[in-house]
Amino acid sequence: MTLSKRGMAIIAPVVSIAIFILLWGLVSLNVSADFLPSPLAVLKEGIRLFHAKISGTSLIGHIGWSLSRVLIAFGLAIVLGLPIGLYMGWSRVFEKIVSPIFEVLRPIPPIAWIPIAILWLGVAEGSKIFICFVGAFVIMILNAYTGMRYVDPLLIDAAKSFGATRTQQFINVAIPACMPSIFAGVQNALSMSWMCVLAAEMVGARQGVGFIIIQGMDLNKPSMILVGMVIIGIVGSLLAAALRWIERLLCPWRRELV
Amino acid sequence: MLTGNLKEYSESREVKVSVKNLTKCYGDLLVLNDINFDIYKGEMLCIVGPTGCGKTTFLNCLSRFIPITNGSILVDGEPADPKIHNIAFVFQEVSAIPWLTVEDNIRFGLRIKRLPEDEIETRVEKMLDIVGLRKYRTYFPQQLSASMEQRVVIARNFAINPDLLLMDEPYGQLDVKLRYYLEDELMRIWKELGSTVAFITHNIEEAVYLAERILILSPKPCTIREEVIVDLPRPRRYDDPEFVKIRDYVTERIKWW
Repeated sequence: MTLSKRGMAIIAPVVSIAIFILLWGLVSLNVSADFLPSPLAVLKEGIRLFHAKISGTSLIGHIGWSLSRVLIAFGLAIVLGLPIGLYMGWSRVFEKIVSPIFEVLRPIPPIAWIPIAILWLGVAEGSKIFICFVGAFVIMILNAYTGMRYVDPLLIDAAKSFGATRTQQFINVAIPACMPSIFAGVQNALSMSWMCVLAAEMVGARQGVGFIIIQGMDLNKPSMILVGMVIIGIVGSLLAAALRWIERLLCPWRRELV
Repeated sequence: MLTGNLKEYSESREVKVSVKNLTKCYGDLLVLNDINFDIYKGEMLCIVGPTGCGKTTFLNCLSRFIPITNGSILVDGEPADPKIHNIAFVFQEVSAIPWLTVEDNIRFGLRIKRLPEDEIETRVEKMLDIVGLRKYRTYFPQQLSASMEQRVVIARNFAINPDLLLMDEPYGQLDVKLRYYLEDELMRIWKELGSTVAFITHNIEEAVYLAERILILSPKPCTIREEVIVDLPRPRRYDDPEFVKIRDYVTERIKWW
């Protein structure tokens, strides 16, 4: 039973991706290669790009650039967003002061920040990191905030009945209780940040995966565009998988549930 | 007839908790009306009352979760304060902490009270034996059955050697078989540790089974209608004629219709 379950866990995604590539291949047979290149063409292009340099940077280098922007922004979003969000959920006064601001900021897509970010920080690294940061920051705050709001009051009461101080209630009960929603926030923030970096790199960048896509467009090479898109997908899902792994380490009590 | 030995009962015992003129209003709504009673040291006190009579408010006042409007609650002659006194609380819903293992759940209250580590370990080992969860010490609450989970909570609360253990219908959500089992277990732990327990329930049979003394509350605004001493030998039997007599008497007195 466990073996077949484990087998399923490996086979199912392989099969579904194989079917997807197969369908893509079938469609590409019936249209021109300029409209949709075949999976094989994209793979070949990927191998070619892997060995060549694109504007002086290798493919791995471009991925590295994007990743470093994302990770800096993501780190800043956690360091700043997490405490603000948690405190917003904990303190009614702070919530009343701060939450209206984020209610207004939330619906603004991070991409809408691109022009103002470039105006403020120029076209260099600063504006790209800023855009990724904005996306991740708002998500981080809202998830930490909601998680804190929905901490089971029974657990807080249990701590209170032992005479726990407000600080002890916060550290020993509230924070661990909202770990799952913090992690959901971290997951979303990271994928949002990864989406934003590509948008940011499409505007005036010389490195990064977003730049590869723009370069593909400028060179009129759809297979290069698709290589960029496939890389985005793969890296994004690897990042998510890494976070899930960390979550399992940090929240062992949830292991039985998921 | 049943309350005749009340005076003798109270004289033979030492007062642990003293509730004087306890009154609680929510705005204009008077919920608790001038309640006076004592809880004796090492006593098993059951409190029964009709639904909505203010039982939970009453307990929340005792545990000092909510401010009282008037009156005083003294533990060993001092005003009750969760930071000084050990007042433990078993809630209606099972409140085991999901991210802590069985043993860490038992440690939880002891850590909050900042007891020395070696004392914590001694008590954890003792409680694991008392509730019979030694084998499951590294399990998380979700991996346990409902009754085992409630035992974790009970162990966590008994571990702090409570001056007063408040139990708010702790077995209300469990099925009959588990309830009987946990009632017996509670009796055993209570005898072994000599704790003072105030057990709130709407189940009269449960109250008669457990209690040395039963407080019957009146409908809102809540006052104490009557105190009943239950001096049946233990283990008690539900079909014992004396048991049935007391049960019927309490049922008669509790009626609010």
